[in-house]
Amino acid sequence: MLKRITGTLFVLLTAFPLFAQDATTATDIERRLRELEQRVAAMQAAQPSADLVEVKRQIEVLAAEVEALKTRQTETVATADTQQYGLGAAASKVYRAGEGLSFGGYGEFLYQNVEGAGVDRADFLRAILYTGYKFNDRVIFNSEVEYEHANTERNGEVEVEFGYLDFMVRPEMNVRAGLVLMPVGLLNEQHEPTSFLSSRRNTVESRILPTTWSELGAGVFGDVGPVTYRAYVTTALDSAAFTATGIRGGRQMGSNAKANDLAAVARADWHPMEGTLVGGSIYSGNSAQERNTYEGRVTLAEAHADAKLRGLQLRALVARGSVGDAAAINARNALTGTASVGKSFGGWYVEGGYDILTHFARRDMSLTPYARYEKLDTQRSVPTGFLRNRANNQTITTIGFAFKPISQTVVKVDYQNVDNEAGTGINQWNVALGYIF
Amino acid sequence: MTQQQALASAFPGAKITRQAVFLTPAQIAAAKKDSGVDVRDGLVVRYAAMNGNALAGYAYFDTHPVRALQETVMVVVTPDAKVDRVEILSFDEPPDYFPKPRWLQQFRGRALDDQLSLKGAIHPISGASLTGRALVNASRKILAIHRAIGTK
Repeated sequence: MLKRITGTLFVLLTAFPLFAQDATTATDIERRLRELEQRVAAMQAAQPSADLVEVKRQIEVLAAEVEALKTRQTETVATADTQQYGLGAAASKVYRAGEGLSFGGYGEFLYQNVEGAGVDRADFLRAILYTGYKFNDRVIFNSEVEYEHANTERNGEVEVEFGYLDFMVRPEMNVRAGLVLMPVGLLNEQHEPTSFLSSRRNTVESRILPTTWSELGAGVFGDVGPVTYRAYVTTALDSAAFTATGIRGGRQMGSNAKANDLAAVARADWHPMEGTLVGGSIYSGNSAQERNTYEGRVTLAEAHADAKLRGLQLRALVARGSVGDAAAINARNALTGTASVGKSFGGWYVEGGYDILTHFARRDMSLTPYARYEKLDTQRSVPTGFLRNRANNQTITTIGFAFKPISQTVVKVDYQNVDNEAGTGINQWNVALGYIF
Repeated sequence: MTQQQALASAFPGAKITRQAVFLTPAQIAAAKKDSGVDVRDGLVVRYAAMNGNALAGYAYFDTHPVRALQETVMVVVTPDAKVDRVEILSFDEPPDYFPKPRWLQQFRGRALDDQLSLKGAIHPISGASLTGRALVNASRKILAIHRAIGTK
């Protein structure tokens, strides 16, 4: 730069001889050039003031401190010379140990408008508070406390939906113990309102698989390549509350649970690619609990698939179950005629939706029209001497949309056409509001 | 994983220089517009890695909430402004929400475009949608900041 200035001045002074001759002599020009060279040399040798150096140093120190705070490093090294940063200087920077309390939650509001003479209802269906505590990287507690229907004086409930300790051994095999969510189906372990499309949970995973279902027990879980698995031994269902509409009443939910009969449940999911899984589960256990005159073995098996790819959501599930000693259970529960427990039961559904904002809006907002078709029967067969209630053989078609202004909140509107073999199905409109944090 | 370990694993054998950059309001606005994410970082610290005279890439660190708690990630950016890798250095949420390494591989080679999205080439994490969203947003923010401040 300085050479360029000097050269330019030289050219200016020599390229215009008339100007030069009028103003100065050659000696004057040489003198001026020497003076200019001296000033350039002085500029080259000049150092920034001490104050400026100190300000720069303080800026670097503050920048390092801000960086440490933003990235949560517990120890910082404030070094003035940025060239010294990097591998060496960062050696003492240790990220915060991952211990402590974690907190979250979700909830659902539901309005149901039923056709005919039925009662329309609005409900703060559930509010869930999640609490976890990481004792260290290997021992972790997880729990959810659920408030249903807003008020315990008006048929509301408070329950611990799950609460267990995880002992992390290695990715392939870890240990879980406590009140665990049974690893069956697509909804039982993942039922936040933002994770499924419809206002109400599908009926197959309510009547055939009794979602939400938790039991006291222990087992193992882990990942083996693209396969995830869970396998537990738990308290078994209690047939004392089985009915014609399913085994749902037999869930013990960790509440002073009867443990004469235990059950085994196992699940495996294959993840062929991210966002996609194909898997299944099986549950087996006696359900007599207090009685020795019968065993009442319950066996449940289901297969499922779920895919979320580029705005497309597809989901399908098929489930079958059987109850041994159904006649004895009927006798115990004073069930007669068409009120019999199903000796076998089952159902399936397919569901699809597409986020039509995938190509029109960036990231968070979504609008997903969807449709679901499901068939189920809680009395596919009944013991000899009993009758099926044809109303329990249902076909439900649900059409609606889910709108997420942000990914943590959802508004759902849908219409359900409910048919049953008895011709007594009641259609309904639903509107739901959900959140998760 | 410490910052040192993360940098060493990202740029083995490279000379790493720390750069503190003060963003101008115009740069912050540009980063916010390009990323679609709220950008409030007036100060950005990045690490430039050189292999000899060749630029190996940049590493940025970002801390952000996942659900109720935070995670700290390192995003390595290639000289041509694409994501080279995303590493989670600390994660305070329960392990159930921690993404698998294979899921993080989806970020490799992604540029700042609409494909860097859970509606695009990044498939959601089943059962941990908030983790996926947090990581996508962090990656978009860092690429947008990188674009705004350029290379030097």
